[in-house]
Formats: sequence, C-alpha cells, structure tokens
Amino acid sequence: MKGHADYKDALALAALDSADEAELRALDAHLASCGECRAELRALRDTAAALALAAPPLAPPPELRARLLAALKATPREGARKPGETEREAVAGRAAASAHDAGRGSNVVSFEEARRGSRRVIFSRPAFVFGAIAAALVVCALAAATVALWRSNSAMKSQLASVSVALTETRDELGEMRGELARARQERELLSAPDARTADLVGTKAAQSARARLTYDARTGEAMLVATDLPPAPAGRAYQLWFIADGKPLPGSVFTTDARGRAETHGTIPPEGRRAQGFAVTLEPAGGAQSPTGEMYLRGTT
Amino acid sequence: MPDTREQPDNELLRSVARGDESALAAIYDRYSSILLGLLLRILHSRGEAEDVLQEVFLQVWRKAADFDESRGRAFTWLVTLARSRAIDRLRALDARTRAATASAAEPSEEVSDASADAFRAEQREIVRRALAELSEDQRTALLLAYQEGLTQTEIAARLNQPLGTVKTRTRAGLMKLRELLRDKFEGANALF
Ligand SMILES: [Zn+2]
Repeated sequence: MKGHADYKDALALAALDSADEAELRALDAHLASCGECRAELRALRDTAAALALAAPPLAPPPELRARLLAALKATPREGARKPGETEREAVAGRAAASAHDAGRGSNVVSFEEARRGSRRVIFSRPAFVFGAIAAALVVCALAAATVALWRSNSAMKSQLASVSVALTETRDELGEMRGELARARQERELLSAPDARTADLVGTKAAQSARARLTYDARTGEAMLVATDLPPAPAGRAYQLWFIADGKPLPGSVFTTDARGRAETHGTIPPEGRRAQGFAVTLEPAGGAQSPTGEMYLRGTT
Repeated sequence: MPDTREQPDNELLRSVARGDESALAAIYDRYSSILLGLLLRILHSRGEAEDVLQEVFLQVWRKAADFDESRGRAFTWLVTLARSRAIDRLRALDARTRAATASAAEPSEEVSDASADAFRAEQREIVRRALAELSEDQRTALLLAYQEGLTQTEIAARLNQPLGTVKTRTRAGLMKLRELLRDKFEGANALF
C-alpha cells in the first residue's frame, strides 16, 4: 500500500504538467480518494503559475483587444442562464457542456484529464481503455465544435450578406453624392459666368409638386436643367424643354426621369434661344418634336 | 458601477460568468501582457502566440461559470488555460516547423511598459529573484517543463541526464520556489 510520500514527485510534476503517462494515471487513482494530496496539488499549481511571470511580458497589439471584444458578441457563453431558464436547467446544461469539453478549462474536473489528450502516445491495455474514452470525448467535442462552427458560419454568412447590402447602399449613396457634387460644381461654374441666367420652372396642374431649375450661360449657351417630382414618362414618351422667344417655342433637349421623378439634362441652347423670356417642359414622343404637341408639365420665366 | 480596475480577479470572473463584457476587458487588460509573454515562450512564434491569446480569452468568456474559486486561484486558472492551449497548439504544429522555430533566436525582450502596473512588475521581480536562488539545474528543469511544455522523459532526453535525476531536480526546484514565494504571495498581498 502506497502512502502520500510516494506521490510527492508525481504531485510536483503534475503541477507543472510535466508528469509522464503512467505516473499521472497512478496519481489520479490516489487523488480520487485523498483530499490531502488534492489540496497539495492545488497549492503546487499556484506556485507553478508564478513561473508565468518569469517570461518577459509582451503587450498585445491594440487591434487584438478590439477583435476580441468584437468576437464576444458572436460567442455564446456556456453555463450562462438564458432569460427564462430555471437554475436547474442551467446547471444541467453546464454539466453537459463540461462533459463535452473533456474537462478542459474547468478547475472542477481534474486538470490531469485535460493533459491526457495531448500527452497520450503509448497504447498499453489500460491506456487503450482510457484512449477509447478519450476518443469518445473527442468525438463529442468535435461534434459540438462542428455544430458551433456551422452555426457561426451561418451567422457569419448572414452578417456578410447584410454587410454586402450595406456596402451596396453606401456605394449607391456615394454615387449619388458624387453626382450631386458634380452637379453643384457645374452649377456654380455656370453661375459664375458673367452672363449667367437662372430660371425656376414650376409644375402645372398635370404635376403640381414638380419643380425645375434651368441654369445657363447666355453668352455660350451652355445649360443644365435639374427637375424633381415629375411623374415617370409613359413608354414611348419623353419630356422636352422649350425656349420661348418672341412668343415662338424653340425645341430644346429631350429627357426622361429616374424612378424617383428626378431628371438632369445638359446641352447647348441655340443662339436664338439664349434671349428667351420663357421656358416650358411638355410630354412628347420619345424622339422629341419640332413644336410642342403634348401636355405641359413645367413652365417658368427668367 | 464599481471600478473594474480595483476589483479582485474572482469578482471579475463572476461578472464575466454573468455576461459582463467590461469585466472580460478588465481581465484582459490585467493579464494579456503576462499571458502573451508566456505564450511566446512556449510557441516561439508571435503570430501563433497572439492567436492562442485570443482563443484563451474567448474560452474565458465561454467558461467563466466553470471557475470555482474554492478550488484554486483565478490567475492559476487563467495560466493553466493558456498553457494547455499553447501546448496543444505546439503539438499540432508540424514537428519540422517546431524544430526550426525553436532553434531560432530568442525573441527580443519586448517588454511592455507593464501597462504602468507597478504592482505586477514588483511581483515579476520577486519571481525573478526567487528563480535566481535556485540551482542552475533546478531552474533549467523547471523552465523546460513549464515554458517548453516538455515531459520529464523529454527533458531527460534533451539534457542527456537520467530520468530519476531530472525528476528529483524538478521537484526540488518547485518546492524551493514555493518556500521562497510563500511569504510574498500569501494573505492579503496575494497576487493570484
Ligand atoms: Zn495522498
């Protein structure tokens, strides 16, 4: 019959996770029935942990902390009681979780169990039985890990999808902002010309909320028209701008709107149109017309 | 809301078990430099060490409810998690890679400013001095076991010494270390 004294070496080596297989097995059997040696092992483990301080500390890069904290959100905690779960259910779940993890990480289950998985190399007969148990635990752990991976994979896929949607939206918004910026710049350039003119057009009864602004350089004829809130043109039809000079309409550019009723068109006003006093927008055949034929949607004067 | 920087490890782990992310961040801020230093010693690769560090804290997050303070100190629990993950990683790495990295020059001592934690810097100094009081043989055996994750048989082979001799030195070294640290780390002043 062996006594405590026979386990002194094994305890020290186990505390350092440096014991060999056979030694560890014999110690485990003794620990199962000896509280004194269990307490001694705990105390020696605390001493061994001090050796962690012998290595020079190394500050992790700040991104690592940020990445970790972000990862917490996607990592379910085990043994945590979910809202509505009873204490008993939580304890049962915790026990199952510990079994799946083969004791790794828990200081309730013997630390030695955790070591066995990584140290086992020889398959003696009793070791083989341990091996079979360990293998079964590994299978359980793998199954749990697979489910967890599958779950986090689907979670990541849906996160990726929403990120991609957000990205597309952002890209669209960015494109829109760029367009607006370019427009604003062009408008400013036009307005800075010495002979700059603007005309505000308002909606007729056909489109009361529609508005448009025509900006042009009376010297060069360079012009831009921005319209909002026009109803979408029916198939085969388009809007056309008219310059009214001396009571006579001169044809301008033909355009359509986007889905939200916005339109933007650029062009050059012919010389006779540059001294126009009035402007109008009508709905015409898609190719445009030489004189207005359709209903008027916008009108205005300089 | 108590200041997490002042809370004992046990209390922080209890908060982590309840899902308190700021408590996990506090534990991280307290120990990540020490653990990364240890992981680098074991793994000889900064990339692997950072990787394992992340895994360790995710495990702390998932498993904090398993920590039972009546069965050991929080620091011991953390270090044990870190070491066993690192040793598993080491054994999973290709043996060739391992030999190549292990023979590479020791990583430069990139000491953090110890996050200005004078208390832990003092504890490190105490451990360093205690180790200096061990015999060269004892120190070597202890560090090969703890930092390289070697079994006694592996250490005997590495040092070309009889197994019994190595075991005796290792145990003697650990017992002496315990004596040297006994007064320092017990009671209210206990770090771990
Ligand atoms: Zn005993």
